[in-house]
Amino acid sequence: MSDETSQPERPEKVIELRLPSKLGYERVAMDTASSLARRMGFSNDRVDSLKTAISEAVTNAIEHGNQQDAAMKVVVLLTARKDGLVVSVADQGCKPLAQGSTTSSPTIEEAFERDDKGGWGIWLIRELMDEVEFSTAPSGGNQVRMVIHLE
Amino acid sequence: MMLEDELTVSTRERDGVAIIDLVGDVTTFAEEKINAAYREVTNNGARFVLLNFRQNDYINSAGIAILIGIVTEVNRNNQKLAVSGLSQHFQKIFRMVGLAQYAEIYQNEDEALVGLQKG
Amino acid sequence: MSNPLNNSMDLSFPSELGYEVIARDAVSAFARRLGLSAERVEDLKTALSEACINAIEHGNSLRPDLRVFIHCHLEPDRLVIEVIDQGATEFVARDNVLSISEKIAGLGSLRGMGLMLISQLCDESSFVPGPEGNCMRLAFSR
Repeated sequence: MSDETSQPERPEKVIELRLPSKLGYERVAMDTASSLARRMGFSNDRVDSLKTAISEAVTNAIEHGNQQDAAMKVVVLLTARKDGLVVSVADQGCKPLAQGSTTSSPTIEEAFERDDKGGWGIWLIRELMDEVEFSTAPSGGNQVRMVIHLE
Repeated sequence: MMLEDELTVSTRERDGVAIIDLVGDVTTFAEEKINAAYREVTNNGARFVLLNFRQNDYINSAGIAILIGIVTEVNRNNQKLAVSGLSQHFQKIFRMVGLAQYAEIYQNEDEALVGLQKG
Repeated sequence: MSNPLNNSMDLSFPSELGYEVIARDAVSAFARRLGLSAERVEDLKTALSEACINAIEHGNSLRPDLRVFIHCHLEPDRLVIEVIDQGATEFVARDNVLSISEKIAGLGSLRGMGLMLISQLCDESSFVPGPEGNCMRLAFSR
C-alpha cells in the first residue's frame, strides 16, 4: 500500500476511526491498529505492545475523558509512515488528566496498600511505545500521541 | 446486546492445588468472576492457588488491578500463588508490573503443579 | 441503547488499494462486539472488502488524494454499513446483475463480480443517494 517514492509530495495517509465511549469498543481500535501494523511489517511482539498501548489509551478516553457517555466519541488517528506508525487518541474531554498522572511510575508494593489497585494504564503506554506525548486539544479534550518505530 | 461477557472462570483441584481457569479477556468486566472464584477456593482451604490462563489475548490495566487485588489477599491469607499459560507478551507485562515477584510464572499447568509445591 | 449513535462507528481511509483490508478488520471487530455470528462476520468481511474496492477503483477512480468513508450503526435487528466515496465517477446502476453462468459465458465483465458477491452475502444491499459521491448500503441481520 505504500508507494511513496513515486509521489513524494503525497500527503500523509491517515486512517480515522470514531468510536462510541463505551467499554469494549477499544477492541475495535486494537484490531484496526494491529491489522495496519502487521501489514507494515511489525513483529508479533511489537504488535502486541501496540495493542496494549492503544487499548489503555482508548479505555482512558472512554472512562476518564468522556466519562462513559456513549454518545461522545473517541477519535483514533493511525498514520502509517515509512519509519513507523503514529497513533493519536483524543476524547471530547470534560475531564482533564490529573496533574502528575502522565509521569507517575506506580509500584506493586504501594498498590497493595491502596483500595484502588489500578493506575497502570498510562505507565504501560510510556513503557511500551517509543514516543509518547500528552496534550490538551483546542476543544479541551485529552489527546495522546504515540509512535512505534519500525526497526 | 453487547458481548461484554468474554471471560469464563471455573475452578478445580489437582494434586493439592486449587486451579482457577481463566479463559478469555481479563478486563474490568472480569472482577466479580475472578474474586468469586478466589473466595470459593480459599473458603475450601486452598494453600496453593494457580491462575491458569487460556486464550487470553486481552488483559488490560483494569485486569492487572484485579490480579494485584488477588495477590494482596493471597499474602494476607498466607497462600502461595502461581500463574500459567500466559502468552509471551503478558508474561512480559506481568514482569514489568512486578506481579511476577509475587506469583511465579510457569509456561503450563504441569510445570506449575511441580513448581508450586517445591519451595 | 435508545440513541442509535451510541452504537455507531465511523471510519475513513485513503482511497488506495490495500486499505480495504484494514477497513475490513475494523468493521468486523465492531460487528463481533455487536454480537454478529462468526459466519455472518465472514460474509461481512468479503462483502465489505468488495464494496471498498469498488469505492476506491470506481467511485474514486483510483485517486489516492480522495478518501473512502464508512459509517456503521446498529438498528434493532440488523447492522447497517454505508460505504461512501467522493464520486469522481458516478455509479451507473444496471437493472440486472449478471449471474455466474452468464459471466462465464463471457457476458459482461468479470469486474462486476464484486457487486454480485455483495448482493448475495448481505441481507440487503443498495446504492442510496448521498450528499456527495456514491453510497452503498449493506445490511446484515443478527
